[in-house]
Amino acid sequence: MAHFAAKPVLAVEGLNKSFFGVQVLFDVGFTLCPGEVLGLVGENGSGKSTTMNILGGVHPRDSGRITLDGAPYEPRGPRDAVESGVAFIHQELNLFENLSIQENIFIADFPRVGRLLPFIRRKEIAERTRAVLEMVDLDVPPTMPVARLSQGERQLVEIAKALAAGAKVIIFDEPTTSLTRRETERLFDIIARLKAQGIAMIYISHILGDVKQLCDRIVVLRDGAVVGGGRADELGIERIIALMVGREIDQLFPPRAPCVTTEPLLEVRGLSQPDVVRNISFTLHRGEILGISGLMGSGRSELARILFGLDPHAEGEIRVGGEPYAATDPIDAMRRGIAFLTEDRRAEGLMLEASIADNIALPSLRDFAGQFAGWLRRPQLTAQVVQAADQVRINTRDHARMLAKNLSGGNQQKVVLAKWLLRAPRVFILDEPTRGIDVGAKYEVYKIMNQMVADGAGVLFISSEMEELIGMCDRILVMSRGEITAVHERAEFSSERIMESALRVGMDAVR
Amino acid sequence: MSATAVEAGGGAGLRRFLVRHVLMSEYLVLYLSVLYFLAIWPFVPEMATASTAGNILSAMLPLLVVAIGQTIVLIIAGIDLSVTAVIAMASVVGASIMTGDGGYLAGSPFAVPGGIVAFLVIGGAVGLFNGVCSTKLRMPSFIVTLTMMMFLSGAALWYTTAHTETSSIAALPSAFVAIGGGDVAGIPNALWVALAVAVAMHLLLSRTLFGQWLYAIGRNREAARISGVPVDKVIIWAFVISGLLAALASILYTGRLETGTPVLGRRFLLDIIGAAVIGGTSLFGGHGKVVWTVFGVLFLAMINASLDLIGLGHDFAVGVKGAVILLAAVLDAARRRVLARQ
Amino acid sequence: MPMISRRSFTVGTLMSLGVAGMPMFVRAQEGKTVALLFDSLVSPFWVSGIEIMRQTAEAKGWTTLEAISDFDDNKQFEQVQAMIERQVDGILIIQTDANAVIPAIRAANEAGIPMVHFNRPPAENEYYSVAIQADNRKITQDTVQFMVDEARRLGGTYKAAILIGDLGDVNAIQRRDGFFDIVDQNTDIIEVVARIATEWNADKAFAGLTNAFQANPDINFLFTSSDFMLPQIQQVLRVAGRWHKRGEEGHVIFGAFDGDATAYQLLVDGYLDADGVQNLFLEVEMAFGAFEAMWAGEQPDKLLLDPGFVIHAGNLEEVRDEMWGYVVWQKEHG
Repeated sequence: MAHFAAKPVLAVEGLNKSFFGVQVLFDVGFTLCPGEVLGLVGENGSGKSTTMNILGGVHPRDSGRITLDGAPYEPRGPRDAVESGVAFIHQELNLFENLSIQENIFIADFPRVGRLLPFIRRKEIAERTRAVLEMVDLDVPPTMPVARLSQGERQLVEIAKALAAGAKVIIFDEPTTSLTRRETERLFDIIARLKAQGIAMIYISHILGDVKQLCDRIVVLRDGAVVGGGRADELGIERIIALMVGREIDQLFPPRAPCVTTEPLLEVRGLSQPDVVRNISFTLHRGEILGISGLMGSGRSELARILFGLDPHAEGEIRVGGEPYAATDPIDAMRRGIAFLTEDRRAEGLMLEASIADNIALPSLRDFAGQFAGWLRRPQLTAQVVQAADQVRINTRDHARMLAKNLSGGNQQKVVLAKWLLRAPRVFILDEPTRGIDVGAKYEVYKIMNQMVADGAGVLFISSEMEELIGMCDRILVMSRGEITAVHERAEFSSERIMESALRVGMDAVR
Repeated sequence: MSATAVEAGGGAGLRRFLVRHVLMSEYLVLYLSVLYFLAIWPFVPEMATASTAGNILSAMLPLLVVAIGQTIVLIIAGIDLSVTAVIAMASVVGASIMTGDGGYLAGSPFAVPGGIVAFLVIGGAVGLFNGVCSTKLRMPSFIVTLTMMMFLSGAALWYTTAHTETSSIAALPSAFVAIGGGDVAGIPNALWVALAVAVAMHLLLSRTLFGQWLYAIGRNREAARISGVPVDKVIIWAFVISGLLAALASILYTGRLETGTPVLGRRFLLDIIGAAVIGGTSLFGGHGKVVWTVFGVLFLAMINASLDLIGLGHDFAVGVKGAVILLAAVLDAARRRVLARQ
Repeated sequence: MPMISRRSFTVGTLMSLGVAGMPMFVRAQEGKTVALLFDSLVSPFWVSGIEIMRQTAEAKGWTTLEAISDFDDNKQFEQVQAMIERQVDGILIIQTDANAVIPAIRAANEAGIPMVHFNRPPAENEYYSVAIQADNRKITQDTVQFMVDEARRLGGTYKAAILIGDLGDVNAIQRRDGFFDIVDQNTDIIEVVARIATEWNADKAFAGLTNAFQANPDINFLFTSSDFMLPQIQQVLRVAGRWHKRGEEGHVIFGAFDGDATAYQLLVDGYLDADGVQNLFLEVEMAFGAFEAMWAGEQPDKLLLDPGFVIHAGNLEEVRDEMWGYVVWQKEHG
């Protein structure tokens, strides 16, 4: 590991910030040297985003000193920040899909013929674009439209854009959320290469394993203040988590008494749909958490959608509680006690513009509608909704007024959980229930899952995070290319073996 | 009335009061209507007569009926541009059945009921078609209903020429005319009809399963589907309701003019959508209430009535109407910004 | 959804009632006030018409109120109600639909306000109102007769085309009938090969006439039911290579109806042979005279006809002062 005796490129001291009279940052300070990668971790609401928004010129600071290359740094806006050499790569990428790569890279400032003429120098643009694309190892023509690039490639374009603008400091905010494992590894290679070129980087992520692997130093934020940190190779993950949540968690996963029975709840036999899944067979038992592991595009989310009756299937037999089930209609699925938490809670799980109460009530409305004209029994409904909200411990008082869009990611996910828990499902399909939520909220989601199986439900748990599957499941199915490639019992869990089945190492070699 | 109470509170208090109770209020459009009334009163004192109020009311009612249907479609993030053409088509088909001048059921005791059924069947059928196209065929409702409007407008003209030498169908039975013009217990029938529609639709939206489903679809169609809302069925019903209410409005209009005409309503599509949107219903779905639309319709009907009374010519009328609606829209947008910040 | 509180509902209801039930307030009237209710101002005929009305009213010391319904029968009914509310002394109306105007006539009768239909009579009805109308059929007959005489003078046989108006408009029907009254007596030299339905729409006129000339390139006898379509006709004839002055080889015998400025210019230039003129000045005088008669307690006939006249190269300078389009033309040409 390199040592950074050099002068810091970025130094932050005594940073304070308030919104509407509520202080959200308290004396935040850290330094960043050229060629260094600094990991910034903390729970949602710990002040990471605010800090980065100040650095990126989005918000002004209240007090504190920031120097960039020894000179005072006071960006007047995002564009000013970029021109000063600080680039911010957001979680949601800011590219124009209908424009080409080169147009995106130079959108803010096209090199022109002369100073005042409105003609741009296409040739120069193409050459400079090619140069920066080479730096990020992206081998595509500069004129290719961004719409034709994968998520990972788009991210590289964002990085190239930062480099073209002469960035000295690049801030990454949760860069791997929408990337495949392979794309993630490619991103890490690029980061290493940029590091070698002396570019300083700040890396923000919930995936602590990545942070530890990638960063030289780590700074932990909690409640708007720096609570600790140090060299990444000296800081254990448990210690980081302890700093983040402010208490020692000796276990990442809540303890659970095994409650698996032999009573089948969901039986799937020979389920196939061309180009989606092939010959899927498994059984979910009462009291069981059955994990499904696999890479993006392995067919795991597609399988969940088929089981809930959202997408069609060509062949196969499904039984729920022993009765044949056609899986053609979500309403029928719900009637049989199936619930489905989707992978994209903002697009498919929530009505963002509606209140918490309206969101929780939605799947159960039918049960509270009277015979006459579907007249709703409001008092009973409200009582049940409040109960469900309490069950998942949503941290807000006014369920009827608070809109879902104003909640943190963790609370949003709890709303989605609550809306299904209100129906007391027998079979609960959870697709990436902990994506993008902080450690504390994850722990609570796990507890809810444990409670459900203890009460006699079966949970189908789809996740990309190997640790949580191993920590939570009774059995894990591994999917690859639409097929189940392996089944692991709890006794024989090992993340390498599961990863191996997911990648189908042996089979790839044959083909 | 509340103004005097406020003045005592002083500058900052007044501002806060105005922001909280006027600008933020659901009743903003109603307050604007009152303000407009007070502003225009010195210029057209006839605004303050009971019979003008009656005229405003009678102009409002059919518009209100069809605007409520539009509100329901807007709530599911759709739009129904075919309503004016439904009004025209239903008007001529209904009239062709009832007219004493060679109608299909002329002279029969079933003439009026038959005619009314024809109105409603056309409204319901067009709504059903619109709904099926925008769900089963996944066509944008803008396209479906726009083309439907073009088709029906043409069909209404064609149907009229096939039935009469003139451009409209008159000689409607007096029992039918009474629906648009008569009264029960001193209250015009049109008012009874509009009241019944408004109350029924208000309850439907706020108190029933179907109403909650409508809002859910408008807020997030995919989430609604995954949460067990029979999305397609609900959307189809929304369009059917809009078509039926347009047909009902057509009954009121046709009765009022005592004539079935193929150009009926051709010019007020913007008034219909405008009334709903000025009231506060969102074009992006998920937001809308019957009361809001009532206020929006009242506002527009009052502007129209005052401009008719002023009698200063077309350019002036169009200009003033545009300016007032624009002002209302700007205020509404400002309000939304403030709300979003809170 | 947030519920409406009882208090705000009460406030809202009170304010609604305030709007609807303000105390009576009637303004004193001075002089005579007449409402001019047009359905549109889309052609020069109507623009000139409303201008002449304003001037004539001003000369009489009357006040005018105006409203335009934009072809919306329902809106026009509301405008009539508004004018009744303003207690005007007379309502002059140009309705879109002959049937749909009847409730408005009844309302005016009930309020005791005289109503005059300008240029378009209403359908048969039991109420009382006066309609002023050009004698379309007669004027058209005279115009077409002039064209036929011209054709006989030149000799040869003729293929004829007529641009017909909107058949919902009595005027259009009468002009069409006037045309066929004459043409049918002269089938030995004239064969009608194209009847173009324009619905009073210039675009449809253009398309229809273009098609007619493609099907029958030898059309050489043309009548249009209104002058406002003249620019489109000129365009089509130019493209077809048939735009020639009187006396030139290939001239199309060309008649029109209305008497607007374009027609005057084409008469002067020699492209147009004859134009049936509605005497707009006379019609306005007749309409306002009808008001005065009704105010005096008389009951003029329900239909008053403007005899109109035909203008052509032979009488151009004698009668042009009566042609409304000439007045417009004069203004445009200083």
